[in-house]
Amino acid sequence: MQQAAGNPRDLGPSVIGPGHDLGSVTDKITSIVLKRETPRGWWIGLGVCLSLAGVLLIAIVKLLADGVGVWGLNVPVGWGFAIINFVWWIGIGHAGTLISAILLLFRQEWRTSINRFAEAMTIFAVMCAGIFPLLHVGRPWLAYWLLPYPNTMALWPQFRSPLLWDVFAVSTYATVSLLFWYIGLIPDFATLRDRAKSKPFKVAYGMLALGWRGAARHWERYETAYLLLAGLATPLVVSVHTVVSFDFAVGIIPGWHATIMPPYFVAGAIYSGFAMVMTLAIPLRAVFGLKDFITMRHLQNMAKIILATDLIVAYGYAMEAFFAWYSGNKYESGMMWGRMVGPYWWAYWSLMLCNVAIPQLLWFKRVRSNVLVLFIICLIVNVGMWLERFVIVVTSLSRDFLPSSWDMYAGTKWDWMLYIGTIGLFGTLVFLFIRFLPMISIFEMRTLVPKSEAGTEASGFEEVE
Amino acid sequence: MSDQTPLSTNLGRLQRASFVLAAVGLGGLVLAAALSPENTEQFYRSYLMAFLYWLAPALGSLAIVMLHNMTGGAWGFAIRRQLEAAMRNVPLMALLFVPILIGGIHPLYEWSHADVVAADPILQGKALYLNRTFFTVRAIGYFCVWIFLALSIVRLSARYDRTLSVAALRKLKVVSGLGLGTYVLTMSFAAFDWGMSLEPHWFSTIYGLLFVIGQGLATLCFAVLVASRIARHEPFSRWFAKSHFHDLGNLIMAFVMLWAYVSFSQFLIIWQANLPEETPWYLHRTGHGWQTVAILLVAFHFVIPFLILLNRRTKRNMRVLATIAAAILVARYVEIFWLIAPAFQHGGGLSVHWMDIVAPLSVGALWIGAFVRNLRGRPLVSLQDGKLLGQLEEASHG
Repeated sequence: MQQAAGNPRDLGPSVIGPGHDLGSVTDKITSIVLKRETPRGWWIGLGVCLSLAGVLLIAIVKLLADGVGVWGLNVPVGWGFAIINFVWWIGIGHAGTLISAILLLFRQEWRTSINRFAEAMTIFAVMCAGIFPLLHVGRPWLAYWLLPYPNTMALWPQFRSPLLWDVFAVSTYATVSLLFWYIGLIPDFATLRDRAKSKPFKVAYGMLALGWRGAARHWERYETAYLLLAGLATPLVVSVHTVVSFDFAVGIIPGWHATIMPPYFVAGAIYSGFAMVMTLAIPLRAVFGLKDFITMRHLQNMAKIILATDLIVAYGYAMEAFFAWYSGNKYESGMMWGRMVGPYWWAYWSLMLCNVAIPQLLWFKRVRSNVLVLFIICLIVNVGMWLERFVIVVTSLSRDFLPSSWDMYAGTKWDWMLYIGTIGLFGTLVFLFIRFLPMISIFEMRTLVPKSEAGTEASGFEEVE
Repeated sequence: MSDQTPLSTNLGRLQRASFVLAAVGLGGLVLAAALSPENTEQFYRSYLMAFLYWLAPALGSLAIVMLHNMTGGAWGFAIRRQLEAAMRNVPLMALLFVPILIGGIHPLYEWSHADVVAADPILQGKALYLNRTFFTVRAIGYFCVWIFLALSIVRLSARYDRTLSVAALRKLKVVSGLGLGTYVLTMSFAAFDWGMSLEPHWFSTIYGLLFVIGQGLATLCFAVLVASRIARHEPFSRWFAKSHFHDLGNLIMAFVMLWAYVSFSQFLIIWQANLPEETPWYLHRTGHGWQTVAILLVAFHFVIPFLILLNRRTKRNMRVLATIAAAILVARYVEIFWLIAPAFQHGGGLSVHWMDIVAPLSVGALWIGAFVRNLRGRPLVSLQDGKLLGQLEEASHG
C-alpha cells in the first residue's frame, strides 16, 4: 500500500525537499540539538511554558491542601474539568501512535519525518492526561488501590467498572508508547554520541545509545523489535479511546449511553491528535528551517486525515441527534433538545462550528496548501474537541432524570489554572525535547533520500509545491 | 495450476448457467409464494435477507473503489475492473428492491400496520419517519444517489483509461471523496429503514456502521474469490502478484477486526446498561437456539479467519486466501440471517425455512450472471496502470 512510491496516479508534492543527500540530512537534524548557542526564542518559549507549569504546581498544591471542593464540581455534575481535560489530552496522544504504528505497518513512507515528535507528543500528552484522574481520586497517594494486588484490607477493584479498564488501558498505552519512542531513538542517540563535541553530552548520549554500533546484526534485530512493537501499539490506537468511551457509554445517562460512542471517540481522538501534530509541526518547520523535511505533502496528508476523521466525528453527532428523536425516549430527546437550546447552547453550537463547519474548508486544495490557514484550522479543531468533551460531560449531567436536581456547572479559577498549567507542562516538555533530542528521525530520513530522487523521475508528473 | 480453457469461454458458460439458475430459482419462489398467504409472508422475509446480502458486493465495490481512489495502493489497481463490474450491478439492486416496495412493506414492517401504531404511543411518535410514503421516497433517494455515484465512477475511470487525462483523475478523486461520505450516510439510513425498523422500538446508533463494514468485508472477500478464479488463466496469472493477495488479506483481516469491534461494542454497551428498551434485541438473538448462531458467528466471522489471517504465508497463498474468503462470505449470510430473521419470530426459536436458502441462491445467480456480463464488457485489466506500476514486467519475475 505504498503511496509515495507505488502509485502511478500520484499527483502530490514529494516527501523530502530536492537536493538532499545522506550527509546533509544528518547535519541538518543533528545541528538543532548539538549547536552550541541556544536560540533566544527557545529561552522565551521555555520561560513562558515553565511559568504556566508553575501555575499547575500552585493549582495542585491548593487542591491537595483544601480538597476537591476547590473545583467547580457539584451535584449533579460530579464529573467536570478533570474528565474533560483527561479525555482531551488522551485523545491528542493518539495521532502519535497512529503515525508511528499504523502508518508504519501500512508502509506510508511520508510518516518518517513526523513520527518522532508525534510520538514525543503522545508521551507528553499522556503524562498531562494522567494528572487529572490521579488528582480526581481525591487522595492521589492512595491511587495504587486501583491496582489489583493482594492486600490485608480485603480491597479489590471493581472489574466491571470501565474506570478500572482505564487504569489498565492508559498505563499500557503509556508504557508501550515510551518503549516505542525510546527504541526508535537508539540509532539516533548513537549518531548524536558520535557527533557531540562536549564530554558530558558524549557520555549522556552514549549511555542512552546502549552501545549501538550500527552493525548489520544490530539493524536486523532492531527492525524486528521495531515492527513487533508497532504491532503491539496498533491495537492501542483503538483500545485506549474505546475504553475511554466506555466510561460514558456503558452508563445509562442520556447522551452518554450510545453504541456509536467507541468508533466516534476513536475518530475524534485521531482527529484532535493530528490537529495537535500540525499545531506543533507548522511553527517548528518554520523556526528550524525544516521545510525540506516536513514538506507540503506531510501537511496536506495530515489535513486529509483530519478531514476524514472529522467526517466520522460529524457522523457520530448526526447519529446522536437522529436517534435522540428516533428512540422515542423522552430523556434522550430532552437531552438533545437541552444541548441545542438549553443553557449550554453556546457550547453545542460552538462545537458544531469548530468541529463540523470549519473543517469542511479542508475539502479545498487551496486551503490544504495554505500553511497559515491550516494552522488556524488546527487551533480551532483543538478548541472544538475540548468543547465536545465539555458538551458530553456537562450537558448530560447538569440535567439528569429529575428536574428538581438540575444545576449549572462552571469551572472555578482552580479548574482553569490546572488546565492551563498542563498546557504549560506540555509546552515545557516539547521545548526540552526539541533542544536535547533529534525531533526528526535521522536514520529513517536517510532511507528516504535515494527514493526521493528516483520517485520524482518515475512518477512522470510535474511536481507541485 | 492454470486452466486450459480460455477465460472468455468459461465466463460465457457461467453467465448462461447463472441466468438459467436465476430464472428457475426466482420462478419457483414466486410460484411457492403465490400458493398461500403464509408462503407470501415467508417469501418477503427470505427475499429481504437475500436482497441485503447481495446489496453488499454491489455497494461495497463502490465504496472500496472510492476509498482506493483516495488512498492508492497496488492491490486496488489489481481488482479494479472486477469492482467496477460489481458496482454496475447497483441499478439491478434497485430493480430488485421494487417487489419490496410494492408488496413487501406490509408483511415485513410492523410500523405499516395502522392498528398496531394506533395502540402504541412510541410508534406514533416515530410515524413521521416510519410510514409507507416516506419509506418509499427514501429508498428511491438512496438508489438515485448510489446509481449516480456508481455510473460516475465507472464513466470517469473509463475516460481516464482512454485519455490518461489528469482532469478526469482529479474529478475521480473529488467524486470519490464526496461520494464515500454520502455512501456511509445513505447506507446507514438504509440499514435503519430496511433492517432496524423491523423491530421498530429498538435502536442502536452503531447499526449503520455494522452494515457499512459488512459490505466492505463482503466486497473484499468477493474480489479475492473472483481474482483467484481469473488468475488461473493466462495471461492474468501474471497480472496478479503475491503482494496483491497479501495486501487484500491484510484488508480482509482489518475488516474482520472492525466488524468484531463494532459488534462487540454494541453488545457490551447494551448488555452492561441492561435497559428494557434495548436488551430484548439481544435476548431474541441469544436464546431459543439462536445462541448457536451467535457463537458460530463469533467463531467463523471473527476468531478463525482472524487467527488464520495473522499468518503471513496464508495471505500470500492465493488458494488459502480464496478459501477463507469463501468461508467469510458464507458467514456474512449467517450474520444477515441472525440480524434479520429473529425479528419475525418475536422471541420464538431458531428455524430455517427452505426459502431462506433458495432466495439468496436465486438472487445470487441473477447477480452473478449480470456481474459476469459486466465483466465481459470491458478489458479485465487497465494496461496503463499496469505499465506505470511495472506490474507486468515485475510479475513475470515472480
